[in-house]
Amino acid sequence: MSERGQFNLQQRVNIALGIAALCLSLIILRLWYLQVLRGDFFREKSENNRLNTVYVPAPRGLIYDRNGKELVTNRPSVNIELVEEDAPNPKQTISTLASILGLDPATLTENPAYLRKRRRFEPRLLLKDVSRDTLAKVAARRYQLPGVIINVEPTRNYAYGPFAAHVLGYIREITRTQLDSPQFAGYRIGDLVGQFGIESRWESLLQGKHGEQRVIVNALGTRIGEFSYEPEVAGSEVTLTLDYELQRVAEEGLKDKRGAVVALDPQSGEILAMASSPAFDPNIFATEISSDRWRDLVFGPDKKLNNRVVQGGYPPGSVFKIMMAVAGLAEGVVTPNERINCPGFLHFGNRNYRCHKQSGHGSVDLKEALAQSCDVYFYTVGQRLGIDRIHEFASRFGLGRPTRLDLVEENPGLIPSTEWKRRYFKNPEDKKWYPGETLSVAIGQGAVVTTPLQIARALAALVNGGRLLRPYLVKSVAATEGEFRDDRFGPEEQGRLDVEKRILDTVREGLVAVVNDPRGTGHRAQIAERKDIVVAGKTGTAQVVSLNLSGSHEHLNDHAWFAGYAPADDPKIVVVALVENGGHGGSAAAPVVSRVMAQYFGVKPAEGESQQSVTSVED
Amino acid sequence: MDFLDRRMWSQFDWYLLALAFLIPICGLVVLYSAGYDPDASDFLLKWLPGEIKSIPFEKQLFFLGVGVLVVAAALSIPTAWLQRLAYPVYGLCFILLIAVLIPKIGIVSNGSRRWIPLGIFNLQPAEFMKTALILTLARYLSRNLPRPGGYGFRQMLVPSLLFALPMYLVARQPDLGSALSLGAIGFSMLLFVGIRVRALVIMALTLVLAAYPAWHHLHPYQQRRVLVLFDPDADPKGSGYHITQSKIAVGSGQILGKGFLNGTQTQLEFLPEHTTDFIFSVLAEEWGFIGCVSVIFLYALFLVRILRVVARSKDVFTALVAFGVCAWFFFHTFINIGMVVGLLPVVGIPLPLFSYGGSALLSCLFGVGLVLGVAMRRLSYARG
Repeated sequence: MSERGQFNLQQRVNIALGIAALCLSLIILRLWYLQVLRGDFFREKSENNRLNTVYVPAPRGLIYDRNGKELVTNRPSVNIELVEEDAPNPKQTISTLASILGLDPATLTENPAYLRKRRRFEPRLLLKDVSRDTLAKVAARRYQLPGVIINVEPTRNYAYGPFAAHVLGYIREITRTQLDSPQFAGYRIGDLVGQFGIESRWESLLQGKHGEQRVIVNALGTRIGEFSYEPEVAGSEVTLTLDYELQRVAEEGLKDKRGAVVALDPQSGEILAMASSPAFDPNIFATEISSDRWRDLVFGPDKKLNNRVVQGGYPPGSVFKIMMAVAGLAEGVVTPNERINCPGFLHFGNRNYRCHKQSGHGSVDLKEALAQSCDVYFYTVGQRLGIDRIHEFASRFGLGRPTRLDLVEENPGLIPSTEWKRRYFKNPEDKKWYPGETLSVAIGQGAVVTTPLQIARALAALVNGGRLLRPYLVKSVAATEGEFRDDRFGPEEQGRLDVEKRILDTVREGLVAVVNDPRGTGHRAQIAERKDIVVAGKTGTAQVVSLNLSGSHEHLNDHAWFAGYAPADDPKIVVVALVENGGHGGSAAAPVVSRVMAQYFGVKPAEGESQQSVTSVED
Repeated sequence: MDFLDRRMWSQFDWYLLALAFLIPICGLVVLYSAGYDPDASDFLLKWLPGEIKSIPFEKQLFFLGVGVLVVAAALSIPTAWLQRLAYPVYGLCFILLIAVLIPKIGIVSNGSRRWIPLGIFNLQPAEFMKTALILTLARYLSRNLPRPGGYGFRQMLVPSLLFALPMYLVARQPDLGSALSLGAIGFSMLLFVGIRVRALVIMALTLVLAAYPAWHHLHPYQQRRVLVLFDPDADPKGSGYHITQSKIAVGSGQILGKGFLNGTQTQLEFLPEHTTDFIFSVLAEEWGFIGCVSVIFLYALFLVRILRVVARSKDVFTALVAFGVCAWFFFHTFINIGMVVGLLPVVGIPLPLFSYGGSALLSCLFGVGLVLGVAMRRLSYARG
C-alpha cells in the first residue's frame, strides 16, 4: 500500500468511466440513427438484397382460323445458355462447346443476345432453339462444360410455316424505339412483341400479362425459395375470319408467282382468305435472324414482307369497267341497250385510242361490252361522263380510299380527278386535265391505282345491294379475363353506292356474261365441277406503266386481274386475284379465282383441276 | 495458493462473474442464429434432446465450459505469482509471436499467418500476448512510477518498447486489429499511470505528422477500408461490401428486430463473417435497437464493475492489471461495434466474449479471472 499515497485511483477511474460512457453513447446514437431514423430505408435495402424479381412470361394467345383450327401456337424450345459465374473459365467452356458442335466459337459469342448486359448469375444465351441432335451432344458432354445450362423457353410456332404469313405476322424482340413509346409501357428489354400482321395489331391482347415471381436468393444468387407469386395471365385467343382450306388454295394458286388473292364474304366483309406471294416463314424470326436475311425480306426485289393485298398498288385495268358501267348508267349517259360501234380504235384529238381487239368488236351494248371488255365502248362512256364524275363514282365504290383493314399501313390507291391534278402537280402545265387522260382512266389505266382489297370491297358493294363494308380479319377474341368486346368485330358499313338496284342488276348481268357468255373473257373462272353454281366477274389486264430498266422483260408483262363472285344470283363469296406480270387476266388470274371458289363450294381439289381450253379472246 | 483465506471469499465479485458469463450466453443465442444451418446435425451435443443446427454454437458452448476452468485457474493465481510470472510469460509469448511468422510453424488463413496448429485447436499467440502484456506492463510500471506530473519520454522508452515490439510482430502477420489493440492497451496503461502534458502534446503532433507516411505503409486493402468509411457506396461490391451489408443488416433490424433466425442478411449470407467480426450485426438485425442497447448496457455494467475493482484494488500492480483488462475489453468492444455500425474502419477485431472463436473467448475469460482474483485479494496482504 506504500504507493497508494501518491496515486489517486478513484480519480483515474472516473476519467476512464467518462471516456467509456462517451464512446458507448456515441455508438448508441449511431444505432438510433441506423435502426430507428433510417430503419425503413435499410429494411427496404435488405428486402431488395434477398428478393429477386423473376418475370414469368405469359403464354401468348393462340390464333385460330374461323373453324377453330390452330394457326399459331406456342411450343417449348431448347436454348443453350452459359452462367459465367459457374464456369471457372468461360472462354474455355465456350471453345469446348464450339468444338463439340463443330462450330466456330465466334458464332456463339457474337449473337446480340449474348452481348446484352446482364445481372450476376443471369445466364447468357449461346444457342437458341437447338435441335434434338445438338441437345443430345451437349447433354452427353455436360461434365466438360461447366456453367453451361439447358433452358426451355416458350417459342411462337407458326404451325404451317409461311401459311398466311402476311396476315399472322411475326413476333420479335422489342426494339429500343418501341421501348420508349408509351404504347409499350410496362414492357421490358428482351420481351417478344408482335412486329407485323395480326401479331402486331393485336399485340395488347395476345401478349397477356407476365407473372411476377419474387424469389428469395442468398448472397451467391442461389434461389432459396419463393416469396410471392403473381401469376401470369395468358394472352387472349384470337379467332380470325380466315378459312384455312380456302387460304391454302389461294396460296397454292399463287405458287411461284408474285401476286395477291383475297376472298370476302360480300354480306359481312369478313375476309375468308388473304394471300400475298412471295411469302416468308414467320418462324425464322424465332431464332436470331441474320441481317442479310432481314434485308432480303424487307428490301429484296420480291419485297416478301409486302402484303400485296393491301400494300400493293396496281392499275385495275378492265376491272374498272364495272365502276364505269355503273357510273354511265346511273348518270344516264348510256342506256343498257344503246349500241356503240367499236372499229378497234377511237379517234380522239390527234391520235387513235386502241381497243385491245384490233379488229374491233363491232356494235356492242353494255352487256356485250362488259363480257368482251370492249375498250372503245368505255372510252365513249368515259368521254360522256368526264373525269370528275368517274372520280365521284369510283370513290363511292371505295377506290382511292383506304379500306381501314387496320393490319398494316395500307396503300390508299388513287383515282385521279381535275382537283387532284391541280393539287398534286406544281408545274402549271401539268395542273391541267387533258381529255385524253380521261380515256386512259376509263379503262382503269393512267394514274389509277387500286389495291386488290379495294377491288374486293367494291365488288362486294356491287353484289350486296350497294353497301360498302369494311373488310375485317378478326372474328372474335376469347379474352382470358372477363369478356372482351370490340365493335370492330362485326360488319361495319363505310358508305353506300346510292345507285338504283336495277342498274346494279344490269351490270351484274354483264359480269355473268364475262364468265358464261361464249364470247366472254372470263371462262376460266367457271367452276368446272359445279356447273350449277354460276360464277360472275370481270377480267383485267393492267399495263405496267413503270419502266423498269434494270429488270428483265417479264417485269414489263401486264398484271393479270380477275374479280369475281358466286353464286351469281345470291353471292356468298367475292374473290379477287392479281398476278403481277401474269399477262392476261382471263388466263392467269381467273383460274386462281375459280379454284378458290371451287374450294368454297366444296369441290375437293384432289379431283383435279380440269384445264379448260382457252378459246375466247382475252382482253 | 491462498484459497483458504476466508476474507478472500467475502470479497469475491459474484456480480462481475455473473456478467462475464451473461454476456457470452447472450452471444451464444446470437451465435446460434449466425451459425444456423438447417442441414447441420448435432456435432458435440448428440445426447441432448432436440437438434442443434448450429455448429459454431456447439463449439462455442464447449469453449464456454472450458472457460469456467480458465476463470477458476486465473483467479486462483496469487498476486505474487502474477508478478513473478509476468516477464517469463511475456518472453514465451514473444517467442511464439516470432515462431508464428515462420512458414513451417504458423498456418495461413485469409491471407495472414496467425495461428500455430496444435492438433485439436489452433493457438493464436497474439491473443495470449494481450494478457502477457498487461501483466508485464503492470509489473514494470508499478515498479517504475513517475515523478509527480507523469512520465517523460525517457521513462516511457522501455514500456513503449514492451508493447511496440509485439505490435510490430503482430502487424507482420498481418493482423492490424490485434496490433492496434496491443498498442491501445499499452498506451492507455501508460496514460492511466500518468504522462506529462508536454510529452502528450508532442506525441499528438508527431502522430499528425506521421500520419501521412504511415498511410502509405498500409496495405492497399487497409487503405480502402478506411476510405470506404467515408464513402461506402463508392465500391459497394468490393471493399465497401462489408460495411454496406453490415449497415443494411443493422439498420434493417429497426427497433424490435426481425426475430431469432429471421435475419435475412445473416441467414442468406449477405453479411460476411457473421459469426466472428460481424456478430453484432446479427444481434442488431434479429433483435433490433432494443437488443443492441441491452447488450451494450451489459458491456457498460461489466466495464463499470471492472473499474470498481480497479478503484478498490490494494496496490498499483493489481490496479494496473485490472485496468489493463478493462482497457482491453473497452477497446475491443468499441472498435468492433464502431466498425459494424460504420463509425470506424473495418479492422479484424472480434467482439469480446461474443464473437465466435475459442482462443479469443478463453483469453477474455482468463482476463476476467485475473480481475476477479485482484478483487478477492484486495484486503489480503501479499506474502512472500
